Amino acid sequence: MLRLPTLSRALAGAAHSKGSIPTSNNVRTSVRALSNLVEVFVDGMPISVEPGTTVLQACEKVGVQIPRFCYHDRLSVAGNCRMCLVEIEKAPKPVAACAMPVMKGWNILTNSEKTRKAREGVMEFLLANHPLDCPICDQGGECDLQDQSMMFGSDRSRFAEGKRAVEDKNIGPLIKTIMTRCIQCTRCVRFASEVAGVEDLGTTGRGNDMQIGTYVEKMFLSEMSGNVIDLCPVGALTSKPYAFTSRPWETRKTESIDVMDAVGSNIVVSTRGGEVMRILPRLNEDVNEEWISDKTRFSYDGLKRQRLTQPMVKDASGQLVNTSWEDVLTRVAGALQGVQGSEVGAIAGGMVDAEALVSLKDLLNRLDSETLCTEEIFPMSGAGTDLRSNYLLNSRIAGIEECDHLLLVGTNPRYEAPLFNTRIRKSWLHNELQVALVGHNVDLSYSYNHLGESTQVLQEIAAGTHPFCKVLSQAKTPVVVVGSSALQREDGAAILKAVSAISQNARASSGVEEGWKVLNVLHRVASQVAALDMGYKPGVDAIRKNPPKVLFLLGADAGCITKADLPKDSFIIYQGHHGDVGAPMADVILPSAAYTEKYGTYVNTEGRAQQTRVAVTAPGMAREDWKILRAISELAGVTLPYDTLDEVRRRLAEVSPNLVRYDDVEEANYFKQANELSKAVNQSLLGAPLVPPQLTLKEFYMTDSISRASQTMAKCVKAVTEGAEAVDEPSIC
Amino acid sequence: MISSLALRSLVSNAVRSLHQTAARASAGGMFVHRDTPSNNPETPFEFTQENMKRVEAIMNNYPEGHKAGATIPVLDLAQRQHGWLPISAMNKVAEILDVAPMRVYEVATFYTMFLRQPVGKYHIQICTTTPCMLCDSDSILEAIKNKLGIKVGETTTDKLFTLSEVECLGACVNAPMVQINDNYYEDLKPSDIEQIIDELKAGRVPLPGPRNGRFSCEPAGGLTSLTEPPPGPGFGVRADL
Amino acid sequence: MAAYTNIVRRAVGQLTGHGGIKGFFVQLFRANDIKTGALVGIDKYGNKYFQDNQYFFGRHRWVIYTTEMNGKRTVWDVDGSMVPAEWHRWLHCITDDPPTTHPPEPKKFLAKVHQINLSGTLNCYVPYSTTRRKIHEWVPPKVGEQ
Repeated sequence: MLRLPTLSRALAGAAHSKGSIPTSNNVRTSVRALSNLVEVFVDGMPISVEPGTTVLQACEKVGVQIPRFCYHDRLSVAGNCRMCLVEIEKAPKPVAACAMPVMKGWNILTNSEKTRKAREGVMEFLLANHPLDCPICDQGGECDLQDQSMMFGSDRSRFAEGKRAVEDKNIGPLIKTIMTRCIQCTRCVRFASEVAGVEDLGTTGRGNDMQIGTYVEKMFLSEMSGNVIDLCPVGALTSKPYAFTSRPWETRKTESIDVMDAVGSNIVVSTRGGEVMRILPRLNEDVNEEWISDKTRFSYDGLKRQRLTQPMVKDASGQLVNTSWEDVLTRVAGALQGVQGSEVGAIAGGMVDAEALVSLKDLLNRLDSETLCTEEIFPMSGAGTDLRSNYLLNSRIAGIEECDHLLLVGTNPRYEAPLFNTRIRKSWLHNELQVALVGHNVDLSYSYNHLGESTQVLQEIAAGTHPFCKVLSQAKTPVVVVGSSALQREDGAAILKAVSAISQNARASSGVEEGWKVLNVLHRVASQVAALDMGYKPGVDAIRKNPPKVLFLLGADAGCITKADLPKDSFIIYQGHHGDVGAPMADVILPSAAYTEKYGTYVNTEGRAQQTRVAVTAPGMAREDWKILRAISELAGVTLPYDTLDEVRRRLAEVSPNLVRYDDVEEANYFKQANELSKAVNQSLLGAPLVPPQLTLKEFYMTDSISRASQTMAKCVKAVTEGAEAVDEPSIC
Repeated sequence: MISSLALRSLVSNAVRSLHQTAARASAGGMFVHRDTPSNNPETPFEFTQENMKRVEAIMNNYPEGHKAGATIPVLDLAQRQHGWLPISAMNKVAEILDVAPMRVYEVATFYTMFLRQPVGKYHIQICTTTPCMLCDSDSILEAIKNKLGIKVGETTTDKLFTLSEVECLGACVNAPMVQINDNYYEDLKPSDIEQIIDELKAGRVPLPGPRNGRFSCEPAGGLTSLTEPPPGPGFGVRADL
Repeated sequence: MAAYTNIVRRAVGQLTGHGGIKGFFVQLFRANDIKTGALVGIDKYGNKYFQDNQYFFGRHRWVIYTTEMNGKRTVWDVDGSMVPAEWHRWLHCITDDPPTTHPPEPKKFLAKVHQINLSGTLNCYVPYSTTRRKIHEWVPPKVGEQ
């Protein structure tokens, strides 16, 4: 099967050579030993590289940056901008460094007269048709064309004719296009077809009339579409919600973590004057590479709407009214003191940080309550959450690249964890990964073997009677991923049992080395793994069966428990940052900080602890979650023994050391034991088909309290359902 | 000063008009698609049984995994069947070749010989590039315009003729020339083109080729060199060999 | 000699011309001055306007404020803006014709009742914010709406 253009395939070998061979002065001698390496010289500096390395990569190895527009590390090589022209000694013409593999003994001159003249000439051509609207261009200040024309360009042009103008395209509510600025580097086209897997963008026409677009009027329908904004080296593709709001040099950048899904994408929060202006991806090869999903990137305006900024309390008429912290804290403490420990319960939501989780757990435990639940369900029979390997994405996100057979069960990774799906697609594209799916037939942006959506199939694979077992037994490095949405079902334990058995069988038949993990669980919410690590009970069954008199909702907005599930006189405390599902039913509301406003620890689905940092201060009277809980504990007479963030984290380390080993993944094991334990489960699979809740792009955008409050996300949903014109606003520029 | 400015603007206007490439002028306007009553995704297009067989044959020329290579011949087949390429035909080709429609649009917009706008039954493409121009292709163009009452890029009301101006068609030695559908009519005089159009109107296809009595591209006034019989073997070779 | 007697007469007049000892001290503390002059007019609020051209230009016209204006006690808390527009012209030498002899032309923009400047008081004008709100807080649903 051919999944990639041949050119990039030829260059695939070059990509492997990255990051090896430190440079040193005596390379000449070592080259003889490593005979398969090619020795080249960059401005006279010797370096040996693997055959197939491009000139540009070789230069990068010695720390010489070649200017480029169309070349991008993670995309195939196009070689059409010509900015990377360099002189090779004794070669008649300058060569395009990005597309030319090095040959033995070449001396690459990156700063010679010829090279500089070539760059200047290319720059003049690129600027011939580029509008001089930098002052009103959103890319201004972070524009490759601007920077490189300052660096390598000439200060004047000989082009006296009229400039070309290109019609703007409407490709949705997220990306603003000013196509006249386009320099046809085709990065966006390659991103769409290679990474996003949506072949909607292309180049139409030829010569001076060539343009980038969709040809037919069409939205760029992808959950990863926002990344073309970062990729675009000029201001042709910019962010629509961010348009004309701020300049890159005005903003403060805070490195943080995304909590919209369980992947924990690394992000940079750009803020100005206490306001989040935009969110950009941050490089992390192990998690998100350099992409982020549209929900991560564009739902930040949800952080400014529907916020809880004042403590609130229900008055005599049942209306929530603003009040002071003293008032609410004493009320809450009074309510907690007024009941037995067993009559207190708590539910933690999907975006709660580990600090808050541990504080809440300590508080309730001190009040003699053990009823601490998460909204997401995880089957507790069998090994349950006792063995950490049971609920993690053990293979890790980057591990998918080494896998050769992948079985997805009851999940739609494209919308549940877009970055994980991107990894699968990457591996499918470059490493011939074979994907199979049990569950609803969804568009995953790559082809897969659809085995059916009934649980019967799962049982057959577990029993070894399904034809797919033959395929799976061929696998060298198999991986099985079960979606947490499948485990929400009544028969979750049986599904996990079946998946565990499949994984064990696949491991046995593959003969893979001991460290290779097969069983994986793909979570959907950011807090789940930390909560399970801390011993929260997954699922709210305990609370539904035995309704507490005082219920503490910590950011619980999934609507698992409604007023109808509780007795009339129960006292509900809601602590969170958005007035969403949980807040209206509460008797007392404690406003807290969202993820951009606090130092918080989040553990992603692979078990990787990462921390968010304060980008802006929490609005109004809102405070960090753990501080509120600490204050309540003092008034309730069970003071928690920590006063600072460091002390809370020390407590976190006490509970589970992996929670504070940031950016590190703790190995989890005992798959065999978990499988043995799961055999004790005597639950039978239900007949209902495995259908994940997010099937189409429409269901992707609004899944949590922040994205539900976001107008941009609402626009996306509207645009997907009614077409891009429905949300089209008259553009200013 | 003023005159030099005027000259400059004149020159720049002339150059600017060069920027309007042939692609835009002939193949039908813009490089974005706008739905029109005659050209929209619902425009009926289906390969005929016979053509479908041809498509199969074309696709079999390409190895497994490289079906996309058949894009140009299959598009050409579609154009021959339909006369021009509606968006529905491109979608159909994409479907047959199992590639994204965008990839087919890219090809169809790149090549000027793929016509994305409706054309008449006879597509008259007149070459006006330098050699033809020197041989007075302008008079041929005038003759066609007067005869049909249309300008470049237009179609006659009876949907019979479309006139477009193209760049060199590679028959410079027979200049001036026009291409009507697949036929070259060469060495034209205005009276010749009028006669050709009359023939076509009458439903007959005139014989393609030069109109000045030449068989092909031999010199018009007979040979000027190599007139003597060719020398035999050993000509000019040293005697002692 | 005559000049000296004139000075003495003016001095005596300034000491006695304010209504006894109490009047003298009230004048001294309220106006920080005890000069006397010709009363040019009294406006409808009770502000008295004086003139004495023997003083240097700029000090030759002055006002003794009324003790109550628009319901506000202004014995000690006086303000320059208590002077209505028509007297302001005369007081600041924009014109030499006092409104007593040249009543102002009625204009619709002239206030019927002169308003004292409210700056620095509770009723002062505060411009509303025209900047966009950075945070839109959640408004809890009204009882009975659900």
